[in-house]
Amino acid sequence: MGLHYTFPPAAGYPLNHCLYRLKSDDAFRERYLQDPETTLRDAGLDAERIAALRALDRDRLIALGAHAYLVFMAGMRLKMAAAPQTFERF
Amino acid sequence: MPLCAAAALPHTPQLLVRPETEDRDMVLRVHAGYALVKRGLEAARPDVICILGGDHIEGFFLTSVPALAVYVGSTVSGKFDRYRYTFDVHEPLARAILEHGVKQGFDLAYSQDLALDYAFYVPLHFAMPEPRVPIVPLYVNAYLPPQPTPARCYAWGQALRAILDARPERVALLASGGLSHFPGSDRYGTPDYEWDRQMLDRLVAGRGGETAALTGEELDKAGNVEFRTWIALLGAVGDARAKVICYEPSWHHGNAIVTWPV
Repeated sequence: MGLHYTFPPAAGYPLNHCLYRLKSDDAFRERYLQDPETTLRDAGLDAERIAALRALDRDRLIALGAHAYLVFMAGMRLKMAAAPQTFERF
Repeated sequence: MPLCAAAALPHTPQLLVRPETEDRDMVLRVHAGYALVKRGLEAARPDVICILGGDHIEGFFLTSVPALAVYVGSTVSGKFDRYRYTFDVHEPLARAILEHGVKQGFDLAYSQDLALDYAFYVPLHFAMPEPRVPIVPLYVNAYLPPQPTPARCYAWGQALRAILDARPERVALLASGGLSHFPGSDRYGTPDYEWDRQMLDRLVAGRGGETAALTGEELDKAGNVEFRTWIALLGAVGDARAKVICYEPSWHHGNAIVTWPV
């Protein structure tokens, strides 16, 4: 069995950069929620990566070089942005 | 001056921002554990909190990935969800850790400008004593291979202890992270709670020094890449017998709060 957190291949950098910005860049996340296709295309992703990211298809994203944690937290931040009232804050 | 407190705490974001998937009573039990640590810190009266944390690719993206780093600014800020936070940094101590660490052979990176990750914020949100004290964020790479080995983390903790003992400040040392969880992997719903329980037994028995012999592969397989921060703390406290304040496994995360007598 392979490791869960593996070295991010350089070929996956643009994809990881988009996941990082969805996780940590509020303006980028907002643009993505308004227009995902254009936002990701402008960020340099091709159709295959755009489709995998829009579906948050973890296995596919990881196969394309995405870091597992970035997939996780990008997805969580998108959920938090889409339905903020469903979260309890302490 | 010797350490005045030592504790390891989780930073699970769902403890701060709870989705409906999390059991509320469990979350509140972990909050009660944080509150005990907070009271302990208030009694210990530290001048500064040094906090070992594993950055979640927030302060350090792939632009630069240090194995071990020290934040050496005057303040440090970050954000998560609706939370915006800033902490004063104890710059003289941060600089002493950096300079003496390098003298002792640890090629530490440093930063004066990075976003403070929730790995640091969540424990401080719940356990920062009142009145607040400045912090020193100490980075241990947990998620971006190749991470520092457990042996190196332990040795860094030993060196850190020697540096802190020679300083005039009263220091509380915290480790943020763990225990078993697999964010983003196909193991997310099946953490290795048996590994956690066996490890807690070892720590309670005063066998923390054994953690230096773990391997990075073992930590990854157990969902404990963040345990490196605990190992560094164990280097600083040695084989002191741990006290488990709480161990609350959720459906995806082994939330553990542990203190050590110092």
